[in-house]
Amino acid sequence: MSLSGALLYLRAASLWGAVRSRVLRLKQPKYLLGAVVGVAYFYFFFFRPRGVVGPRGMPGNGAGGGLPTVSAETLLVIIGVAALALFLVALISWFVPRQAALAFSEAEIAFLFPAPVSRRMLIHYRILSSQFRLVLTAIIFTLIFRRGITLTHAVGWWVILATLNLHFTASSFVTTRLLNRTLTPPARRNVILVVAGVVVLALVAWGWVTIDPPTASDLRSGGALGNYVAVQLDRGPLPWLLAIPRLTLAPYFAADAHAFLLALGPALVVLGIHYFWVLHSEVSFEEASISRAEKRAARVRAVQQGDWRNQGQTLKPQRPPFNLASTGRPEVAFLWKNLLSTSALFRPVSLLVTAVVVFAVGSWLGRRPDLESARSIAAGFGTAFFTILLLFGPQMARQDLRTDLKNADILKTYPLRGWQIVLGQLLTPIFVLSAVTWVALLAVALVAPGMGFESQNPFLRAALLIGAAVLVPPFVALQLLVPNAAAVIFPAWVQTVSNRGEHGLDVMGQRIIFMAGQLLVTALALLPAAIVGGVLYLLVSWLAGFTLAFIVSVIALFAVLSAEVWAGVRLLGDRFEEFDLSAELRP
Amino acid sequence: MIEISGLSKLFGDFTAVRDLSFRVGPGEVLGLVGPNGAGKTTTLRALAGIIPPTSGSIFIGGNDLLKDPISAKRHLAFFPDEPRLFDYLTVRQHLTFVARLYGVRDHEMIAQPLLEELEIADRADRLPAELSRGMKQKLAIACGLLHSPTALIFDEPLTGLDPLGIRRMKDSILRRARAGAAIVLSSHLLHLLEEVCSHVLILKKGERIAGGTMAEVHAQFSDGNPSASLEDVFIRATGGSEN
Repeated sequence: MSLSGALLYLRAASLWGAVRSRVLRLKQPKYLLGAVVGVAYFYFFFFRPRGVVGPRGMPGNGAGGGLPTVSAETLLVIIGVAALALFLVALISWFVPRQAALAFSEAEIAFLFPAPVSRRMLIHYRILSSQFRLVLTAIIFTLIFRRGITLTHAVGWWVILATLNLHFTASSFVTTRLLNRTLTPPARRNVILVVAGVVVLALVAWGWVTIDPPTASDLRSGGALGNYVAVQLDRGPLPWLLAIPRLTLAPYFAADAHAFLLALGPALVVLGIHYFWVLHSEVSFEEASISRAEKRAARVRAVQQGDWRNQGQTLKPQRPPFNLASTGRPEVAFLWKNLLSTSALFRPVSLLVTAVVVFAVGSWLGRRPDLESARSIAAGFGTAFFTILLLFGPQMARQDLRTDLKNADILKTYPLRGWQIVLGQLLTPIFVLSAVTWVALLAVALVAPGMGFESQNPFLRAALLIGAAVLVPPFVALQLLVPNAAAVIFPAWVQTVSNRGEHGLDVMGQRIIFMAGQLLVTALALLPAAIVGGVLYLLVSWLAGFTLAFIVSVIALFAVLSAEVWAGVRLLGDRFEEFDLSAELRP
Repeated sequence: MIEISGLSKLFGDFTAVRDLSFRVGPGEVLGLVGPNGAGKTTTLRALAGIIPPTSGSIFIGGNDLLKDPISAKRHLAFFPDEPRLFDYLTVRQHLTFVARLYGVRDHEMIAQPLLEELEIADRADRLPAELSRGMKQKLAIACGLLHSPTALIFDEPLTGLDPLGIRRMKDSILRRARAGAAIVLSSHLLHLLEEVCSHVLILKKGERIAGGTMAEVHAQFSDGNPSASLEDVFIRATGGSEN
């Protein structure tokens, strides 16, 4: 077998192995179920026939709908803006400091670098290897942006992505070579940089004198703005600068098969020139490739261990959030430990300062009826933030069992009951989410106009605020219990869904199932509290009026939610004690 | 003291450990040896309270680990083969955290000499990511020793250590044993066991093949050869294969 044959064999065998392992894992019910849901999601999102027939004026409308119809003029503006964006992306790659590195895996480096494989062969191998990922990305982009598969658009996307990919590699090769004193003597480098600087300055000056800034009438409507952009894209250096990006984009925007074939030739020439450029760049990529592979492997290991935040990044020691005494409730030790892993913004002092600032600004804004629009915007943001925190906060604040599952072995050797560990682990996200939600609530209560708040009795406003604030911690705790319960009851499932950084339709399906399950369980858990609170409110308001009914119902809601949380913590604690990690996490 | 009786552990249909009994008294060091898949790690993890046994009883310092795990675990320290540390806690913060969990009063008075003994006092404000493999191992040991346990369990304690680290680890184990701790350790490094252990237990496919003092096991499997090493004894006892 020739060398190129061996490399092709490696690529093909790796691809076959990856596909085979994905298929074989469908034997496990969690993957099979996930795959069914994932496929269903894809079908309903991308392929399901829709009532609206796609526009005929736009090419590439698949079976299911498409983009809104656009005029030829608008399409020209879109192409121009896309070319400008492509140009800017390519340009930025020259200013991002990068080493000339090719994306080899650690295994590829271990086997291929010491092997008698030429440098050119390695580059060939790497470029060809990246095509599978690019083709897959092109297909996904085609589905997302066109809502239906058409070959011309998929090929168009592939041309764009492959050209950009090669351009990034080539620019990193050139800049590495330029900055290498051995390859480029300083005098020569300075001449190159000066010439490049002069060219850039000349182009900027040319654009400065020829391109007009927009006037108020240009911004009056979408049509006016489109006309303005179309005119400016044809001025100064832009037609020259965007000529090559337009060639690359042309197959994607081709109106029909004939136009596509005509556009494909020049685009492939641009791609071929990039390929030639990369292949003949005389620069050493080996050392940087090894470093890149090591960093990537460290990142993957971090993700596999459940540490999404610390993906191979350098951590710095943090000051403790408070002094932890040697004796006292052991659960507090978990609060202390997990607060250390949060951002400094979520420490008690930072949150207190934020609350004071919000109170000061909110009070001032609340007394300014002339700033009603600002109050409306602030209230809108506050309400949105409050809602997002309540609904999605538990997915964001994960400093609990979900993150510490990898340390379950050690946690189980501590002289603590299971419920103590579960409660301790929950304290940090409860504290952080409750405090941030309170701040959002405070902001809304202070500035909210148009909700009848300003006309209400101040005592009633305070009561409503306190009532809502009191219910936040048990509600947050209840929400947090669900994913933590999943982590303890289905650790292998949660490891796959949250921690291992796995991909695929089946894993996506698992995530959907998981989210739906969490919402359902939370809703069911809220039901008893809602029933008890509601019944008591109606009863007491009928007997003693609104104020007492409100207080009683808040207390009842708090009591039921707290009881549910406590029962959940005890149950999870028992489960944690019986939890056999070695059996649960067996692959 | 560590005492287990009739310990069995099943994973589904697979029996990892079958009806295992042994006792480790104060000052004794028991070496757990066996081919891969013999059930060493499973036994140690059951001893540490990490996995529940399917049947049998485990007593640590006279406390039933299954019925009164809190009291039993207060006497226990488990050291896994790979040190498990918290990424965001410095060396000193690890000790502060562990001290609170075990209720160790004035833990600084204990922690500082411990860090100095283990030669990581100068790294007290470093995070685990800034420590070498050996340093991480030392930190895990410092955390385990902070509450002065009387039962110590080591799973492959020499993994990843350099020669100097291995020497110090052996000294440290012997020192704890002399101080009255009951120690169980598993290792594939039989020369370590010969140097450190007073007793040895040979497992194969989850079952006890042989056990007793080093001299007793040696006498049983040396075939009358007084110069036979533990390696010879091990190979003879296990039949020279995993199966």
